[in-house]
This record gives sequence, C-alpha cells and structure tokens, in this order.
Amino acid sequence: MIPITPNPEASATPAPESESTGPPGLRTWGAVYGLVLVTFLIWVGLLTVLSGIFS
Amino acid sequence: MNALDYVVLFGTLLGIAAYGMWRTCGRKDLRDYLSGGGQSGWLLIGLSVMATQASAVTFLSTPGQGYQDGLGFVQNYFGTPFALIIIAVFFLPVYRRLNVYTAYEYLGQRFDTKTRLLGAALFLVQRGLGAGLTIYAPAIVLSTIFGWPLNATIICSGLVVVAYTVAGGSDAVSLTQKYQLGIIFAGMILAFVLLVMKLPAGLSLGDALTLAGGFHKLQAVDFSPSLHVRYTFWSGLFGGTFLMLSYFGTDQSQVQRYIRGASLRESRLGLMFNAVWKIPMQFFILLLGVLLFVFYQFEQPPVFFNQAAWKNQPTGSAQTAEAEFATAHAEERRQLNAWLAARRAGDQSSEKAAFALAATAHTRVEVVRDSVKTQLGKESGTPANDNDYIFITFILDYLPHGVIGLLTAAFFAAALNSKAAELNSLASTTVVDFYRHLLNREASDVHCVRAAQGFTAFWGLFAIAVAIFANLSENLVQAANILGSLFYGVPLGIFLLAFFVKPVGGTAVFWAAVVAEVVILFLYGVRHLIPALDISYLWYNLIGCAACMLFSLVIQAALGPAPKTPATPATP
Repeated sequence: MIPITPNPEASATPAPESESTGPPGLRTWGAVYGLVLVTFLIWVGLLTVLSGIFS
Repeated sequence: MNALDYVVLFGTLLGIAAYGMWRTCGRKDLRDYLSGGGQSGWLLIGLSVMATQASAVTFLSTPGQGYQDGLGFVQNYFGTPFALIIIAVFFLPVYRRLNVYTAYEYLGQRFDTKTRLLGAALFLVQRGLGAGLTIYAPAIVLSTIFGWPLNATIICSGLVVVAYTVAGGSDAVSLTQKYQLGIIFAGMILAFVLLVMKLPAGLSLGDALTLAGGFHKLQAVDFSPSLHVRYTFWSGLFGGTFLMLSYFGTDQSQVQRYIRGASLRESRLGLMFNAVWKIPMQFFILLLGVLLFVFYQFEQPPVFFNQAAWKNQPTGSAQTAEAEFATAHAEERRQLNAWLAARRAGDQSSEKAAFALAATAHTRVEVVRDSVKTQLGKESGTPANDNDYIFITFILDYLPHGVIGLLTAAFFAAALNSKAAELNSLASTTVVDFYRHLLNREASDVHCVRAAQGFTAFWGLFAIAVAIFANLSENLVQAANILGSLFYGVPLGIFLLAFFVKPVGGTAVFWAAVVAEVVILFLYGVRHLIPALDISYLWYNLIGCAACMLFSLVIQAALGPAPKTPATPATP
C-alpha cells in the first residue's frame, strides 16, 4: 500500500475504530473473511450439485 | 389494478418518501448532507449497499432472465465476495483515514487534479446515464402493462425521488432504503409463496425442479473456458470480481453508502453482509423465474408477454401465430400431464417417453415464440425481447388484488432507492470534485449544501430526460450491466495503480486511462463486425483495468520517473 498524507480534517474528527470484529467466535478479520469465502464455496458447491442432479 | 392496489401502491411509496423527508430535512452541515451523520451501524450500511445495487431492474427483469435462460445468470455475481473483501481490506481503511467525501478525492491526493477529474467525470457520465436507465426500466414495463402514459410515469416517479433526496441528502437515502427494501423483500417472498401454491395439484417442488432441469433451466454453474459464452464460472469469477471491485470500490454511489459508518468495523461488516447474501438473493430471484417457467408449462402464457407490442401486429399473421402457439402448448401440457401421471405411478419408461414428447412440443412452442420475436423486432434488426414483462404478467393475471399493489410498490421502491443513492452521489461528486474544488474553494458549508441540493435536482432532471429518450433492445438487467462494464474497468485500473503501484504518476495514468477507455469502446463498437471480438461483456472490466495499468507503466517508462509528492491537496 502506498502511504498518503491524511486530510487534516481527518485528524480533527477521528473515526472511532474498534479492534473487535463483532461476530462471536471470529476474533480476527482474517477469520471473518475466511468465513465469507467458505460461505461462497458452499454456495458454488450447492449450485454445482443442483446443476448436476437436475441436468 | 383496482382501488385497493392503488391505495397500497401510493400509500407505501408516498408514505416512505414523506417519512424520509420529515426525518431528515433541514440538514445544514455538508458532511451530514453528503455522507450522513456517521452513526450508521453495519445492518443499515449493508441494507443500504444492497438496496443501491438492487434496482427495479433486479426484481422486474431478473425473474424473466430466469424464465428464459435459467439460473446461469447467478454466475455474474461470483466475483462479489472477493471484490468486497479486497475493498474491506485495502480501499475502505484508506478512504476513512483520509476522511474524503468522494473516492475521487483520493486520486487527487495520490496523483493530480486531472486524474481526479477524469475519474470523477467517468463516474458522472456512466452513473448519469445509469440513473436514466434506473428510472426508465420500471416505467417502460409498468406503463405498458397498466396503460399509463410512459413519460408521465417517468416524470412522476422521478420527481418523488428528487423531492426527498434534495430535502434530506444521504440520511434520507439510507433511511428510506431500509423501509423500501422491507417492502421489496416482503413482496418478493409473498410472490414466491403464492407461485408455489399455484403450481398444479400433484406437482411437488421436486417435480417442478426435475421438469425445469429437463428443460436446462437449472444449469447454474458452467465451468467451460469459452470467452464467448456470456455467463460462465470463470467470467463470473474473474470478470465479475473486476466489475464488482470497480462498482463497489470506485463508484461513488456505493462508496458513499459505506464510507461514513459509525466505525471501520461497522463499514466492513456492512460490506461482508453483502458478500454473504448477494449470491443467495440473486439465486432466489432467478429461481422464482424458473418456477414461473414451470408454472407456464401447465398454464398457457401469451405468445409474447409484452401484449401491448403484440396487439399492434396485423391481425392475420397474429392470429396464425397464436393458433400455432396454442396448439403446440396444448400438446406440451398434455404430454407433461402424462409425464406427471407416469411419475406418480412410478412408471419410468412412460415417464421418459412422455417427457421426450413434451420436449419436442416445447421446441415447437419456442419456434413460434422466436418467429414472433423476429417479426416484432424487424424494425430494429434484432429480435424483440419480452423477458422484462414475464413476472409482471404473472402478477397481474394470477395474484390477488392488494398483492398486485404491494408488488408494484416494491418495483417502484426498488427504482426509487437506487435512484436516490445515484442522485446523492452524482451531486456529491459534482459539488466536491468540480464545484468546490475548481470554482469556489472558499464556499461555506451552508452554501455547498444549497449547491448540492441544486445539483441533486439537476441530475434528477437529467436522469428523467435520459429515461424519456431511452430505447433499449437488450433485456433491462443486461443493459444495466453492459453499460457498467464499458466504464468500470478503467476507473478500477486507476484506483489499483493508486493503491498498489508506486512508480506511476498522474500524467501517465491520465493518458493511459483515456487510451484504455477508447480501446474498450472500440471493442464494444466492432463486436458485431469482427466475430473474434464478440466476447462476454464481463471481460471488458478486466480488459479495461489491465489495459489502463499496462499503458500507465509503458507511458511512465517513456516519461521517466514520476514526481514523489502528491500534486493536489485535499479539498478544504
């Protein structure tokens, strides 16, 4: 990532950032993204099975 | 439509619009007006992002797509989770750290003014035209079906959304989107349940899927590597990732929805909400179309769903086509009933034989429909398309009053919530990237809010004008995606260079982007003249992005090392 000087207004009104991801059991953002990708794979798998069964 | 339907329709739409205006009018702070109060939680952000993308086209046209071509269109969305994760990891933290109003401000800070203005201008052109399509899509279908004057429908629905977007800005958009999406989901689920209940007695959901599969409507995933097949796993995954990355990451209508969440976490979770639910939502809408197809195998549909267009045909040829269609469809129904009886009796050989005969009859039905489409499309040179009229025809012919009003309200709600977000983002970009940046750098917040309200109204009227002059031969949902694909790849290339390629400067990126956009428009323009270039439009996103990045590197190499410091300060 290329560093960019923040807009001065940004430091005047900092956004409240949180370390916690929110969803229970998913402590890191990597885990959240991993869950999203697993969900995607499940959907593709189910759609492939659907295509196969009813073709 | 009867009085009850009109009460439900106008009560729902005007009620939500009035509530949005009442809750949000009187914003004087520019940041509040353009970006909201910055207190949105993940669910509101997620719903707002979803509502902005899911326009009336999604709910009106996609079931028709499912009816005609089956589930394959769902692959268009396979890139969504990947794109949203990339945005959550790389784009979003930068946007929030820089505290920008628009995504294009970042380009000014990273490159220079001309690159910022090019990115903003590409957005204004693409989204300005897209806003016209957003309002045209439901208006053309609903005015045809209900016999309303097209231009009056476009103008009235356009003015409603202009009124509450001008009054309340970004907060009005998010607030109304939440309730409008509720109406849409309620309407679609109700339509799905009623459709399943109206399938013939004795036809289970499993039977319906078997029937649909027999007619190749359940081919959801196609792993073939062909570039010429419009929807494949690969075009969806790679082309779709680039399309969605550009749309969600660089299109201000989306950036504006998530950039000012209560925290980085809320914004990220809002995006992940869409990463998880976008594919099932599209699948559900396409499945509705597939079940409509099954339903119409047992109930004779009109030979052409756009009845208004069909009624203009010369009586003799129309009667001949309708008679052929009725005969072929009656034979298909007869064979499918025999198939169902054999299936119930467990007689597999009879089941197979009856289905083969039904498939033959179905081919005759399709031949008649194709000839009708060709006949109706003679003037334009391309076959006429009635996919957008399939779902609304079913609603009017088979659903009870009250539900008709609710679903019509759902279509208009979908149009309004997309258009509101588009107008809000068009006004933001015009004020922040052009007006305040170039013309009036000392303007006060109150002045800029008034300017933003004026530009919101301007873009609303522009979209109405585009809608009035629009004339499409493509299926509406595809037309929207094609328009997006022509203009999304290049801005994405600019943003990827900005984020990840340090040695490239603004001048190289600017000229590379101009050349890359010309290449994309050329490829699209000659696709019918050179068959080898007639590729799926999803690939334009990848090609535009790659061309922009490659040309930038080549031009930068020719120009020598880029200046190290950003050329343009942030907008005051």
